[in-house]
Amino acid sequence: MNVLLAVLWKDLTIELRSRDRVVAMVVFSLLVVMVFHLSLPADTRDTAPGLLWIAYVFAALLGLGRSFSLELENDAVSGIALAPADRGWVFLGKAAANWIILSAVQAVTALVFALVFDLDLMAVAGRLAGVVALSSVGLCAIGTLSAAVAVRTRFREVMLPLLMLPLLWPVLSGAVHATRQLLTSGSLSFEPIQFLIVTDGIYLIVSFLVFEYILDE
Amino acid sequence: MTVPAIAARNLEKRFGPAAALRGLDLELPAGASLAILGPNGAGKTTPLRLMAGLARPSAGSLWIAGHRAGSPKARARVGWVGHATCLYDALTARENLLFAARLHRVPHAASRVDALLAESDLAHVANRLAGTFSHGLAQRLSIARGLVHDPQVLLLDEPFTGLDRRAAEGLAERLGALRRGRKTLVLVTHDVQGAAQVADTAIVMADGRIARSLSGAKLDAAELERAYLAASDPAP
Repeated sequence: MNVLLAVLWKDLTIELRSRDRVVAMVVFSLLVVMVFHLSLPADTRDTAPGLLWIAYVFAALLGLGRSFSLELENDAVSGIALAPADRGWVFLGKAAANWIILSAVQAVTALVFALVFDLDLMAVAGRLAGVVALSSVGLCAIGTLSAAVAVRTRFREVMLPLLMLPLLWPVLSGAVHATRQLLTSGSLSFEPIQFLIVTDGIYLIVSFLVFEYILDE
Repeated sequence: MTVPAIAARNLEKRFGPAAALRGLDLELPAGASLAILGPNGAGKTTPLRLMAGLARPSAGSLWIAGHRAGSPKARARVGWVGHATCLYDALTARENLLFAARLHRVPHAASRVDALLAESDLAHVANRLAGTFSHGLAQRLSIARGLVHDPQVLLLDEPFTGLDRRAAEGLAERLGALRRGRKTLVLVTHDVQGAAQVADTAIVMADGRIARSLSGAKLDAAELERAYLAASDPAP
């Protein structure tokens, strides 16, 4: 737990100081929203959940890639690999920091998305935030793991989406399904939530266990 | 019976078909100081990374203070000063040390960090970002980082590289003080003079094997130089 908190504190301190990741992610996701706005018809209520999640995934890809390249500067990754604890805690610390940063980006993106597409999200804001937060746990778990693998490969920018997107499919399908229910009917059944909880759990446990070997050479 | 600080038996490391280390046997008592020398590609850094637990052996066994290398208990007993500094440029010197102390669950981390900053003559730059440090300052901070959890064994990868003469002398003095404080030191270096000054045992590696081993209370720098040159330019 100490390792988790130490890594979380370190990543958030660096991000608060530089803000390079969060600014790039916000700008990129807003550009994606504006492109959708310019290229799609005005009434997009049916496709809005998919569009919102495309913007979120693009933003996540940008931020997650940076999260581990930071550890390669000055070979800082060797320092964290030497922590005398299960290396899965390092993974959880990195994933938690990614989740917090992504959540901030998602909040801004949702606000602009609602304004641009003239959607009234106020009535479902709490439940939508819950669905996005729950889905983002799986997204950050698999994204953090994929980023850790991709960063040591020669084509890291290409490898991250290639590794991450296929594994993300179950989380994305649950997230889009739950978001569509909320935006079209204003209600939410327990089925997609249950699916997301199970998927998040599997991704977190598998990533925790596998991370030990990923930090090795 | 005293448990050796480092014990390796028939240690091997392969990267695919290439062998980086072939059958290394080594036993270092607590408080010993070992220098590993050799030309580029001789396999000097590989044993250091295996001792740190940053890589896994392909064969053989390696123990740190009685614990299998790479296990959490072994990692707790090892300090690492890599060829790169392991520092975050966007954190201050104090924050870098605090982060390392928290990773290692050091009790009273803040006071330990302040003491280390003073001991390393870094107190005056404690609140400066590590990214603004000169190479010599960053190296001192990197060593402080490696010592933050008071490890039994300190592993140093080419610590003299890039330092001017004054900084190199300062580093040799610091390592001498650690040796007198019963820390076990293992350093990989090309600097024969620095190795002779700090180490009581030296091995010269060539092609993943120990080509020559020297030991004594005071190593003969000239003899070490000859062994190093012989390993660098083997007879046809």
